[in-house]
Amino acid sequence: MMLQPATHAAAAGPARAHTGLLARIADNERLLWRLMLAPAILYIVLLVGFPFFLSLYFSVSDVTVGSREMSFVGLENFRRVIESRTFWTALKNTLIFTVVSQLFVIVFANILATALSVEFRGKWFIRLLILLPWVAPISLGAIGWLWIYDSIYSIINWTGQALGILGPDRWPIWLGEPTLAMISVIVVQIWRIVPLATVIILAGLTSIPQDIRDAAAVDGAGFWRRLLQIEFPLVMPIMLVAVLFGVIFTFTDMIVVFVLTRGGPYDQTQVLASWAFFTGIQGGDLAGGAAVSLFLFPVLVAVAILFLRLARRAEVT
Amino acid sequence: MMTRKTHRRGLSRRDVIKTAAAAGAAASVGPFFHVTPARAAKTLRILQWSHFVPGYDRWFNNVYTKEWGKKNDTEVIVDNINLALIESRAAAEASAQKGHDLIMFLSPPAVFEDQLIDMKDVYAECEKRHGKPIDLAIKSTYNPKTKKYFAFSDSFVPDPINYRADLWGDVGMTPDTWDDVRVGGKKIKDKHRVPVGIGLSAELDTAMAMRAIMYSFGAHEQDAEGNLAINSKNTLEALRFVKALFEEAMTPEVLAWDASSNNRQMLAGRSSLVLNAISVTRTAENEKMAIHEKIALAKAAKGPVRRIGLEHVMDCYAIWKFAENKEGAQKFLIDYIDNFKQAFLASEFYNFPCFANTVPDLKQIIAKDEKAVPPTKYAVLDDVLEWATNVGYPGYATAAIADTFNTWVINTMFARVATGAETPEVALSQAEAAMKSIWAKWKERGML
Repeated sequence: MMLQPATHAAAAGPARAHTGLLARIADNERLLWRLMLAPAILYIVLLVGFPFFLSLYFSVSDVTVGSREMSFVGLENFRRVIESRTFWTALKNTLIFTVVSQLFVIVFANILATALSVEFRGKWFIRLLILLPWVAPISLGAIGWLWIYDSIYSIINWTGQALGILGPDRWPIWLGEPTLAMISVIVVQIWRIVPLATVIILAGLTSIPQDIRDAAAVDGAGFWRRLLQIEFPLVMPIMLVAVLFGVIFTFTDMIVVFVLTRGGPYDQTQVLASWAFFTGIQGGDLAGGAAVSLFLFPVLVAVAILFLRLARRAEVT
Repeated sequence: MMTRKTHRRGLSRRDVIKTAAAAGAAASVGPFFHVTPARAAKTLRILQWSHFVPGYDRWFNNVYTKEWGKKNDTEVIVDNINLALIESRAAAEASAQKGHDLIMFLSPPAVFEDQLIDMKDVYAECEKRHGKPIDLAIKSTYNPKTKKYFAFSDSFVPDPINYRADLWGDVGMTPDTWDDVRVGGKKIKDKHRVPVGIGLSAELDTAMAMRAIMYSFGAHEQDAEGNLAINSKNTLEALRFVKALFEEAMTPEVLAWDASSNNRQMLAGRSSLVLNAISVTRTAENEKMAIHEKIALAKAAKGPVRRIGLEHVMDCYAIWKFAENKEGAQKFLIDYIDNFKQAFLASEFYNFPCFANTVPDLKQIIAKDEKAVPPTKYAVLDDVLEWATNVGYPGYATAAIADTFNTWVINTMFARVATGAETPEVALSQAEAAMKSIWAKWKERGML
């Protein structure tokens, strides 16, 4: 009878010690927050920091996709990039692509977030539909758009002709004419980013205390006054975060352009990210590709600082 | 009572951490506990494109490699990917120093030369067994500067003219010269509203078509010694011709094309002429599309200087220096050439041999095809070596040629002129500037 508890205690010893260690970690807040932050820091260092410093190193070397040895060439790659006409076209296109798409994103996201902040039947389903472009792989979505814009089978043209909007001789070549091609890639980027911006702004709207809205209603504020003088100022900091995400995602994106136009027609939709890919991977010049891609970095840092400062200033305390 | 109370409460922070730790451990360790099936002594991993003729992949993946694997106690794993992804996949493997033993490029992989083994022994063994390879193969896989065969070409794909015999017959012409293509194409477009479909986009078929026009006009990216030679009056003439062809016989849709767009346009009955491999007619025949009877094939068009076309696809097998089974990969290639006739038949005449003796009765085979209407349709390819050449003609397919090819410098130059965005002179000087930079870069790296 005396043996049983002793055996039980012996067997439970290691398990109890193990549980004890976990318990100590769980109860030690100073250790716990460091442990919980560690995976994120590791992730950033390995998947963001390391590639970034590697591309810095590549950009001042003569490395190619086929070479293991590299030598220092100073700023030669940057000189070549700046002398390239395609680079300046890509830089201009990147700015147009980003600014225009984000202007529309913020307008559409605000409309959708405002609509979704009120209660109505089937709201969950509408939310699901709006989120789909964001959760679906972008390459799949872009291939879908490629067929929508197809020069032979375009469903837009087919529908336009069926409804009599386009005459029998009108068949726009969406990806073949420079202006239409740029509009087409911007539309897909808007379609892709709007869900994220909507969710962020919606979170901002739902965080506004109901008593502020009630007070405004009591004071006789209508929809527009409430929207422009109460909700917008309160949501502004989080809206700027949505814009910041949108700008960074768009500025660094190459999938939409790569799948739809590969930079064509004749580089008219080429963006820095796609040009870096073509130079570095397709052309085999890793150093040149790294130099092109690094032009994105100072612009993005400046944009991030600007938006975060604006967001801080816009905070209502 | 205490026990019941504990069960009723929500998850504590301790519980969450324990569960997360258990889940993390399971996720980390789980993959090491799968059951490994019995394996052959060796493994050979091959990466290549998804062939345009699906029957070829079925034969290669399910029949040939299986039989070869049994004979050589090797498990052969074939990964087929989209043709547009081969370069980026290869770059990833070279960077990781890990990947497939054998990788097939669709254009000469000169930029990867330092990472690839010399294929001279494979060429030598195949030459001993089957005679000399064709010049096209050597020009596409040999670097005269480093004296190294950076790849091995088993086959190439002819790039004939595919045209609508009914429409061309209706205007009383055949597309024999580039001038015929322009004049006849315009007549058909005016009468039937069916345009010529030659790409002017950032893709493979455009790259081939524009070079075919350039070479037939006596224009070249480089001379026989590899010196940059794009700036010539012949290039300007070729640019002016493409502008006229685009304005008179084509539509802007060619500016947005990918590599299969011309196939789709021809099969949809919306093109009078395209430059492509026989995948257009084979698809129509295999899918039993009525239009296949209307599509005829012709040799590459004659320009003011010569009749010349490109290979449509150049199969270039390469072996990484870091490949785990280099010997197996080399043996596979040698044995594959021994059996190349099977490959030629499985590809339905798509892949032509680089060692001509492996298909000695090629002319007799293609003279009469049971699927084609008329059965003599493919006989036009019997003298393809007299009019097909490599990218970089009259020189070798060097790293500079590959870089120019893959960054679409020539395609963009032609598209700018065709659309009127630039004059031929300005577009040519822009392309020359880009190519000078490319040539300088690869020269500095000792590849030219």
